[in-house]
Amino acid sequence: MRQSTFNNKFLPYILLLPTMFILVVFLFYPAIETFRLSFFKVHPWTGATRFAGFYNFIKIFSNPEYLHSFVLSAMFAFAVIGLGLFFSLLIAILLNQKIAGIRFYRTFLIWPYALSPAIAGALFNFLFNPANGVLCYFTGYRSWLTDGRTAILVVIIAAVWKNLGYNVIFYLTALRNVPQAALESASIDGAGAIKRFFYITFAFLSPTSFFLFVMNTTYAYFATFGLIDVLTEGGPAGSTRILIYHLYKDFFVHSKTGYAAAESLVLFTLVVGITFLQFQTSEKKVHYQ
Amino acid sequence: MKQVKMAVMMLIITVVLPFAVFANGGVDVDESATASIEFWHAMSGERIDLIQSFVDKFVAENPNIAVDVQYTGSYNDTLNKVKSAYKAGNAPDVFHSYEIGTLGLINSGIISPLDEMADKYKKDIPWNDFFTPVQSYYKYQGSHYSMPFNSSTPLVYYNKTFFEEAGLDPENPPKTYKGIREAALKLRAAGHETPVTWNLHSWYFEEMICLQDEPFVNSDNGRGSELPTKVAFNSAAGQKVLEWWVGMEKEGLFLDVGPGWANHRAAFGSGEAAIIMSSSSDVNRLTAALAEKGWEMGTGYIPRPEGAKGGVAIGGGSLWMTNNHSNEEELAALKLISFISEDESQIAWHKGTGYFPVRKTAMDQLKKEGWFEENPNYLTAFNQLLDSPESLNTAGGLLGIFPEARELIQSAIQEMYAGKPVKKALDEAAAKANASIEEWNDIMQ
Repeated sequence: MRQSTFNNKFLPYILLLPTMFILVVFLFYPAIETFRLSFFKVHPWTGATRFAGFYNFIKIFSNPEYLHSFVLSAMFAFAVIGLGLFFSLLIAILLNQKIAGIRFYRTFLIWPYALSPAIAGALFNFLFNPANGVLCYFTGYRSWLTDGRTAILVVIIAAVWKNLGYNVIFYLTALRNVPQAALESASIDGAGAIKRFFYITFAFLSPTSFFLFVMNTTYAYFATFGLIDVLTEGGPAGSTRILIYHLYKDFFVHSKTGYAAAESLVLFTLVVGITFLQFQTSEKKVHYQ
Repeated sequence: MKQVKMAVMMLIITVVLPFAVFANGGVDVDESATASIEFWHAMSGERIDLIQSFVDKFVAENPNIAVDVQYTGSYNDTLNKVKSAYKAGNAPDVFHSYEIGTLGLINSGIISPLDEMADKYKKDIPWNDFFTPVQSYYKYQGSHYSMPFNSSTPLVYYNKTFFEEAGLDPENPPKTYKGIREAALKLRAAGHETPVTWNLHSWYFEEMICLQDEPFVNSDNGRGSELPTKVAFNSAAGQKVLEWWVGMEKEGLFLDVGPGWANHRAAFGSGEAAIIMSSSSDVNRLTAALAEKGWEMGTGYIPRPEGAKGGVAIGGGSLWMTNNHSNEEELAALKLISFISEDESQIAWHKGTGYFPVRKTAMDQLKKEGWFEENPNYLTAFNQLLDSPESLNTAGGLLGIFPEARELIQSAIQEMYAGKPVKKALDEAAAKANASIEEWNDIMQ
């Protein structure tokens, strides 16, 4: 194959310009501005600023509700990632069989991913809302969303369900790329189905699992906002108020721009940190082909 | 006689007119100069078309003015958009805010106070024609900052058919805490498991403090010369409200349907609940929902403890003008919000939505038409409002961090449902609110 060459030195930069422009305006500038504002007290209306040092950080970390939200988010993310990856792998394995109508099932199982979080929230609200939720009627239990202990469960289930399609697609593709030769030779060596799965399939799936872990962490921390807003508004009594929801309230409802900027920096650091840590520890265990 | 009349006229012309023209030092703007203004509001659904129709009429009467009217989401969304737009230098000339944003906006530095604008452009706003509760809510230290637009109060709605079946008087709804609880017990005995409900909203709590003629915050309920520094809602009055409210939930008489405005309406419409509280602007909607099932609906005043002497405060929203616009635009904006507060728009608004008309003349006209004979439930809401004595407490509390205070109260009520003692939860909410007030007062300086 012959590669085309560009002799113009400036052409690449010109071609990159639109992308860079978008990135600067919508990503870099807001990020830098957020970083800056986290060290200021900000007037809620005019945006006038007053330097405050680490005031915002000290305040948010001495707020027990924020700390609760911090722990809650970690638990929530753990549950969403754990259950999400487990069930999607399970479903992907089932979908990887040769049975009649498999294309049909595949399409339907991937469907939830096409929904926006707010719509997914509305669907679960239809099932669980205390006034006329379908499942409230069938279970005879009204307080799914108004009792803190069950509300977090509903939110976790909804979040897992919503992202199932995404995870399944990736696992399904990965499963198809597991070399049959390796599986065959293992079975000749006397490995049973379970051993084959854990030693061969699982190992070949590890890059995908790693990728999905990172994506699901971001999903659990950031993209579940709409679900929570529709289902519980962070309640009852803060039992579903994860960090992103706390941030939303502080900025959009309470107009505490300084706090919100600091919280957003914390959230950013947290997710980058988790991903970095994950790269450090799992890199060795991940087998790329 | 004629000479006397003439003399009086002359006196008026020579003595009063010069004051009217020169005393207020207004500016002269060509009334017919062209202007183009933006108006952002927070009313969704069919209300978008209704507001558009007011604006269309206004433009037809003022062909030199062009109005771009936009629905910008909830009150909260609208305020956030106004904030961003203001920082970017293209704030709308007129925007719509909820009542609890009032003190924040007065201190925001982004608005033009209404009375100042009216003086500047020599437009007379007939404040005496506005209902007293409406005026007293929006008047802050003697002057008006925004134009009252959509006003409502909470109201009790009950299912007359169920009342009759349970042996309760369908024409005489309970008016006290004890009364509601006793009615609920009878309804339960008649087979309605959880007969009472309303949505988790701090508004009811605030109004039920007004009903006891107690303040929500200090500094004359937020209306004094100093900004409020502490909330007062954890008083005995506040506790009394929640001991009763949460008590009914504990007894299983009250169904907790969570926040939002859909669930309690649904529970009432399906016959699950026989007594609810909701906004007075729900009359149309709820009457229709019950009629569909062949049930009759009644309305009553929101309940109070025995002997309490207060009244309800007005809720809803008002129209604000932002600063930094040309004289022509300001005048156009002023004319627009005046037009929307006039009888014709207010009557159409009342009929189309259920919000009160804010003006007495509009009310008189509705009475003359026989509107209230056809719609007696609207009269309940009016009477409840007009029966309210005038005081700083029934005017409604003002607080810069009101939206946050609401969140704190709602969270506290959920903690009470889960078992926390009323006083403890309220005191904790108050302490958090006070800390936020201190910060707010510091930042706003």
